[in-house]
Amino acid sequence: MIGFRNITKRFFGVPVLRDVSFAVPPGHTVGLVGENGAGKSTLMNILGGNLQPDAGSMLLDGRPYAPRTPRDAARSGVAFIHQELNLFPNLSIAENVFVAGFPRRARWLPLLDRRRIHDRTRELLAQVELSRPPETPVEHLSAGERQLVEIAKALALDARLILLDEPTTSLTDVEKALLFGIMARLRSRGLSMIYISHSLGHVLRLCDSVAVMRDGTLVAHQSAAALDTDRIVSWMVGREIRQLYPGRGDRTTGAVALEARGLSQSGTVSDISFELRRGEILGIAGLMGSGRSELARILFGLDPCAAGEIRLDGEPIHGLPPRERIRRGLAFLTEDRRAEGLCLEASIADNLSLVSWPRFATGPLGLLRRRDAGAAVTGMREAVRLTTSARDTQPVKTLSGGNQQKVVLGKWLLNRPGVLLLDEPTRGIDVGAKQEVYRLIADLARQGTAILMISSELEELTGLCDRILVMRRGRIRDAMAAQEFDRERILRAALHDETAA
Amino acid sequence: MHSPRRLLTITALAVATLLPSGCGPSGTPAPESAAAGSGPAKVRTIGVAFETLQTEYWVAGFEAIKAELQRRNLGMLEAVADSDSSRQLQQVRNFITRKVDGILLVPKDARTCIPAIKAANEAGIPIVLFNRPAADTPGVTSTAVVADNRKLTRETVEFLVGQARKSGRRHQAMVIVGDLADINAIGRKEGFYDAVKGQESVVQVVAEVPSEWNQEKARAGVVNALQAHPEISLIFASSDFLFPPVIAALKSAGRYHKAGEPGHVILGGFDGDATAYQMLVDGYLDATGVQDVYFEAEQSVQALMDQLDKKATPPLILDPGFVIHQGNLAEKKSRMWGANAVRR
Amino acid sequence: MTPNVVAPPVSGPAGGILSGLRRLLTSESLVLWLALAYAATLAPFTPGFVSASNGQALLAYALPILTASLGLTLVLILGGMDLSVTAVISLASVVGGRIMSAEEGWMAGSPLAVPAGVAAMLLVGAGVGAVNGWVVTACRVPAFIATLATLMLFSGLALWMTQSRKIGGLPPGFVLLGQRLWMATAITAGVAALAQAALSRTLYGQWVRAIGYNPRAARISGVPVHRVTFATYVACGLFAAVSSILFTAALETGNPEMARDNLLDVVGAVVIGGTSLYGGRGRILGTVFGVLFLSLVDNSLNLLGLTFYNITMIKGGVILGAALMDALRNRLLAAA
Repeated sequence: MIGFRNITKRFFGVPVLRDVSFAVPPGHTVGLVGENGAGKSTLMNILGGNLQPDAGSMLLDGRPYAPRTPRDAARSGVAFIHQELNLFPNLSIAENVFVAGFPRRARWLPLLDRRRIHDRTRELLAQVELSRPPETPVEHLSAGERQLVEIAKALALDARLILLDEPTTSLTDVEKALLFGIMARLRSRGLSMIYISHSLGHVLRLCDSVAVMRDGTLVAHQSAAALDTDRIVSWMVGREIRQLYPGRGDRTTGAVALEARGLSQSGTVSDISFELRRGEILGIAGLMGSGRSELARILFGLDPCAAGEIRLDGEPIHGLPPRERIRRGLAFLTEDRRAEGLCLEASIADNLSLVSWPRFATGPLGLLRRRDAGAAVTGMREAVRLTTSARDTQPVKTLSGGNQQKVVLGKWLLNRPGVLLLDEPTRGIDVGAKQEVYRLIADLARQGTAILMISSELEELTGLCDRILVMRRGRIRDAMAAQEFDRERILRAALHDETAA
Repeated sequence: MHSPRRLLTITALAVATLLPSGCGPSGTPAPESAAAGSGPAKVRTIGVAFETLQTEYWVAGFEAIKAELQRRNLGMLEAVADSDSSRQLQQVRNFITRKVDGILLVPKDARTCIPAIKAANEAGIPIVLFNRPAADTPGVTSTAVVADNRKLTRETVEFLVGQARKSGRRHQAMVIVGDLADINAIGRKEGFYDAVKGQESVVQVVAEVPSEWNQEKARAGVVNALQAHPEISLIFASSDFLFPPVIAALKSAGRYHKAGEPGHVILGGFDGDATAYQMLVDGYLDATGVQDVYFEAEQSVQALMDQLDKKATPPLILDPGFVIHQGNLAEKKSRMWGANAVRR
Repeated sequence: MTPNVVAPPVSGPAGGILSGLRRLLTSESLVLWLALAYAATLAPFTPGFVSASNGQALLAYALPILTASLGLTLVLILGGMDLSVTAVISLASVVGGRIMSAEEGWMAGSPLAVPAGVAAMLLVGAGVGAVNGWVVTACRVPAFIATLATLMLFSGLALWMTQSRKIGGLPPGFVLLGQRLWMATAITAGVAALAQAALSRTLYGQWVRAIGYNPRAARISGVPVHRVTFATYVACGLFAAVSSILFTAALETGNPEMARDNLLDVVGAVVIGGTSLYGGRGRILGTVFGVLFLSLVDNSLNLLGLTFYNITMIKGGVILGAALMDALRNRLLAAA
């Protein structure tokens, strides 16, 4: 179907792809894995027509294939489903599906044939098992449904090869299962797919073969049947990762650092009470929309709270703005690091020092002690093990996802918080970076920081936390200590309504 | 990578096309200079700075000055400030930089031109103001050539009053006044009231419409006044360029008729522009006070020459102008600038 | 499937000239080099262009515009917009005239007239800035609309206060500021140094940039977004008031139409100077270069004796060229 031959690409002299060759046979799904920065995205951008290779060539169905633009690629039957969906929320499903080229009433007439658009859309939606009328605006769809619309869009182009880049990041487990079912069906119809994901379990389940990239080269491409996660991870990082989660060890918990009593806000959370102690990692499990992120925003003072009480180190902080809570030692790593965590265009140094600038300012004019700030930034870069190849002045957007997340974490740690709220701290980062983030979290707890950690990955909650609370529909439904951790019990508590209904 | 080249192209084009006309005096060199050393003939150059060329009157004045300079074999530099006092000051300073022999200035207004005149005074370069005088300021000397707005308006309105009297009935009148920050507008307003004073039995002023020299404001004011006083049958506009809104308002009220037809509204104006000329030819307009731009241009340049010859010039040179009406149209039209302006 | 006939293209290595051009285009002082190149190109053809007196004329014209542009630079870095700068200039001019004028001023002849007048002008700037800041932060009106409204409101107020009349007879002590170029230069330089220091050396400056880059992230990181935004609009109003002082002294007139047509010069100069309309990115020095460049163009075209129509067209072309170059530059920077 598609073959890569000695693809090489440099950015300003720095090679990002070196002699990459492999093939995707027809009807095959190939999993493409690698740490962030390994070159997967560049390779896919070349395939999708966004970039041109410096050397090497591609063959599509045995013919030379060299798309100059994404439109070229689409015309040749290659569809690209990005990590951040490319849908227009204000348009209907049908309009999104046909946005690249609307069928017209006649070739020479710039009039749209709405009936044909809707009929065809209905057909395509049936293929992806989405039972929504074609005229529904995309903004009314859930993240999972949007993903299906993306696939319908690819099918509308008669795509023969579909690239999926992290399609499951924002999906619930139910939606993931649905997506995988559809992918299996498409494969049986002879469609080829390239599936990029950090979730190695999914890759092994879905793909015929797995291609592993590291530092711009292809280190392995083998049949999935013969592989296991550990093997892939060791290829990805170039070393064996023996233990993803650091042991709980001899951590001891201290006084109550954060206390919530009866927090309620209509539509998001109701009657939430818990205590978080120094040196403790408290996990919050639950589906998206269960109120877990909303709870964190209320604790941090970003969202209002109609009833209840929050105490930080015994002092009520109700009604204080985030700035005041930060001053008292609260920190909040949000789930959306690009929109809320970072100033992407700003430098690494400026992002790292953003929260703690007031500590480096003197006098009524707020004159900055840049040297002190610079020293603190250097120290923090080492503490969070930020990549050493990046300069302090480099924009944060040039970093890989894992390193970006380390900058967000470092930004908060520079302010020496007593209580750290983490919302999906490892979303979209590679396994090497994950391990480092876990180690950092565990170290912080050992030093006495109280940590509240929200995550969709049960494995990371059970691997890291001392206690787990499970939320569903705005309430805490279950709580368990480390020795009682049971993934089935957590899932049951998180899903109860859905399974009963 | 096209941009720098394009920038250069624009610049080069600008330089290439405008060098011959812009930098040298456009007249032929004076004959006696042929023997003078290596340099080119010394031709006197006058800097002409206009506030705006947005109305026909200023274009006509500009053309008249250009013709007058050419007639006297003088070079010319031009600058238009587009109603920006600050830019006008820079333009006058530029003239001084380029060592012009004299400056002809149409100031934005009576006040903001003071620093420009001061600068010219300090550089010892003669400066004459065209059509608008400067505010009296100690230590600043200038000569202004202006129409005698008050007198000419009075004469024009007196003619209108005469027409009104002939009709044998009493007329309700409307006057549209200009921007009262402009000394010319004040002169015309005063001239109007000079003429109607004591004529209450013939002409009764019922509406005074402010225009601030803005057609839109004038249109709104005229429409309102015509609604409040439907009997109005005499209108004086402080400038001819305000006629289009007046005509529009009269037409929509069904009251735009030629002189002599029943229901005719007696119309008078000031300036003598092409619209007014056409209205006269078509028989709708009774009279307008014509500023004699040819006279003003000639006098301005003469005043500059006098100053260059170290002769004193009075602070104010008045253009008496003339009233043009149906009776003397054929005889006077050659000196009416609006009749000569090319219709665009 | 459509057959592909085009062979895979391989982009060649960047040549020496190309890489030099790229370095120039991505240079921080690009606009300065452009301005100098422009001046050097035109100098031989433009009588009187390179002369002390022309330098002075150019400076006198550019200083008030630069002062106003500095304030706008802060607002743009914050990710905001302030169209009301010219309204501040005209309103402050009128208020100052009303207080100081020997002919009709409230404090005519008083020795305190000048300090009182200057203070009142600054107060007008701060006041309009405070209104802008309040509408933008407390009422969450988009800055473009909010300041467009205050532009109309306050320039209308200036015209109404004076009924379109100009106010003359300003005291000699005040007018001196317009006649002694070094005084205006010193004031503008001081104000520019102040803006530069605030932006690069204070907590406030860091916060302004952070808000410009990402207001949501800034808020979550504890930046007092509303306070900083409000203060920045007040600062922009103050800069405009200083600009009004320079304008008013230079023209010796309290003028309700002051700077009415300079809004696009101010905005254009800031953007040519490399400040992003999307916030975050921008430098004080860039704005200085931007004003220098636009003023050079204006001045030289005047000296060439071009008609007003041609000047307007060429200036539009120059701004477009600069904008294209900036777009190209951003592409190069993004690719790096």
